[in-house]
Amino acid sequence: MSKSSASIETMPGSASGNHARGWLAASGADYLLAAVLFALPFLIGGSWTFALGICFANSIGVLAVSVLVRYGGEVSIGHSFFAAVGAYAVAILDTRYGLSLVASLPLALVLGTVCGVAFAWPSRKLSGIYLAVSTMALALAVPELINNADWLTGGYEGLYVSQSVIPGVEASLQRYYAGLLALIAVVYGLRRLRHSRQGLTLLLAKQHPAAADAFGTRQVWARIAVMGISGGIGGVCGAILAFAGSTVSPSSFTFWTSIFLLVGSVVSFYGLSLTRALVGGAFLTLVPQFLSASGAWIPVLYGLALLGMILIGHYLPRIRSFLFASKGGA
Amino acid sequence: MDGTANALTGRGLALSFGGIEVLKGLDVEFRAGEITGLIGPNGAGKTSLFNCLTGAYRPQKGAITYLGHALDGLSPAARAGKGIVRSFQHVALSPDLSVLENVMIGVARNYHAGWLHAFLPTRRGTDEMAAMRAAAEGALSELGLAGLEHKLPSELPPGMLRLVEIARAIVGQPAVLLLDEPAAGLNNSETRDLMRTLRKLATSDLVMVVVEHDMDLVMSICDRIYVLNFGAIVACGSPQEVRANQEVVRIYLGDDDD
Ligand SMILES: Nc1ncnc2c1ncn2[C@@H]1O[C@H](COP(=O)(O)OP(=O)(O)OP(=O)(O)O)[C@@H](O)[C@H]1O
Ligand SMILES: [Mg+2]
Repeated sequence: MSKSSASIETMPGSASGNHARGWLAASGADYLLAAVLFALPFLIGGSWTFALGICFANSIGVLAVSVLVRYGGEVSIGHSFFAAVGAYAVAILDTRYGLSLVASLPLALVLGTVCGVAFAWPSRKLSGIYLAVSTMALALAVPELINNADWLTGGYEGLYVSQSVIPGVEASLQRYYAGLLALIAVVYGLRRLRHSRQGLTLLLAKQHPAAADAFGTRQVWARIAVMGISGGIGGVCGAILAFAGSTVSPSSFTFWTSIFLLVGSVVSFYGLSLTRALVGGAFLTLVPQFLSASGAWIPVLYGLALLGMILIGHYLPRIRSFLFASKGGA
Repeated sequence: MDGTANALTGRGLALSFGGIEVLKGLDVEFRAGEITGLIGPNGAGKTSLFNCLTGAYRPQKGAITYLGHALDGLSPAARAGKGIVRSFQHVALSPDLSVLENVMIGVARNYHAGWLHAFLPTRRGTDEMAAMRAAAEGALSELGLAGLEHKLPSELPPGMLRLVEIARAIVGQPAVLLLDEPAAGLNNSETRDLMRTLRKLATSDLVMVVVEHDMDLVMSICDRIYVLNFGAIVACGSPQEVRANQEVVRIYLGDDDD
């Protein structure tokens, strides 16, 4: 009865067997990391602060994809769509109405959720590769939609985001902390979800739709709920991307953006903790920066880094048990 | 009280898959206050009948009523809302959830806090989860599983998973309880404990139906027994009557003696 896509779950190092507990356990690592990140802007240079702000946004995008995998058992290659919706909500409210992120972030969340639900309804019977390919349609449409609505979106030129959240505070710090706080809020919300009634029923519905049905959880509801949550988080990702990057343009929301969000999700092994999300976000944001000096070799090195990450993840349980075994023997 | 009013009934249920008749227009009546056994050889259609009753399958012909109301148009989720609950022959627990959380799903249909309560630490959400947890802990200890709440399904042997599956079905105070091979994989003492628990559950307004291959269990706890073969009812009556039925002995009970 389990869906074809359930095989995602048994991917290396993920939810199979003993590792099921680890996939969003509130670890000390999360708290430590959060503490370090709060202090970091005072220790590092401005260009790094900027890069980390983008990294937080990408981490949120990675979470949007991972939540779909974890709770829906489905893969998306179209999440740049939801990010674009959130980003343009922020940019348009900013340039047209002079409203800051305080007003536009909630709107981005709502619009992303609405778009997720609106996409989930017609695609509710699709799963696996068919659903993934239909999300691709979303991603492919984004740049064209933006360019065609240039009276609103600024077309190729894009829009600037300049309203500050707390006037008087240095802009670079605002961008950094808005991203960090949003990321922490999303992680927190997802941790709550895991222990909520809805979260429990969604997890059963993913594995055993017939059993969930028999206990009152309709499959259509489950799909719409998961897509809504995922789309909403995607909207927040876009909002933070716009604010932290201070500019939006169609080139930030191409099909490749969607692919890289999925790559980030895979690299983080669909983890929903702060640490895992940041691993995915950093892979998207920082690895290209590290490699930027390598010129033509960037794609090759990026591919190698990707392969390396996945292999490390794959063998991590074995490496860990090897270390534990040798410790226990000593 | 009139037996038919206070019962789950199926009339003329016919179900086929691609020309293969799985249920051949059968009539059943499961009365409240009784434990009804449903027995028959492998492939007789017992699970398929459960699937029709819960709405997982749509029979091509026939009508299903509960307390005199037609269920035919209702989705499985809507029937669950009416308290019609089942356990699965193939244990269907979420591997991501602890034993306790899996059982909590059995009461989820009785709670309705919205999405805000799922994401934010609200009073209502917290209270609801506490109530669900308490109910699940009660059901687990009733089945002798206290202490295993925080285990993952992958850490338990099949017999215990079976009991968790049953705990999930009984936890929400069902009105109709359909148990599909509840003793499969249990050892003798576990089976005896289960029989005692089921007997205790059988109150005057609960409809309980048990599909089971363990004849001792069926004969000792059931008030009435239906015998199914090739999608048709071949016998119905008290355990004594069914045991004495030549047809039943030939097609089913006889197998054990050979
Ligand atoms: N979804 C389905 N598609 C096709 N055939 C089905 C389906 N469900 C059940 N059947 C067929 O219906 C027949 C009855 O199956 P069912 O599972 O109801 O039997 P059962 O009495 O529960 O047997 P067992 O004791 O082995 O559990 C079998 O021949 C089975 O192959
Ligand atoms: Mg069966």
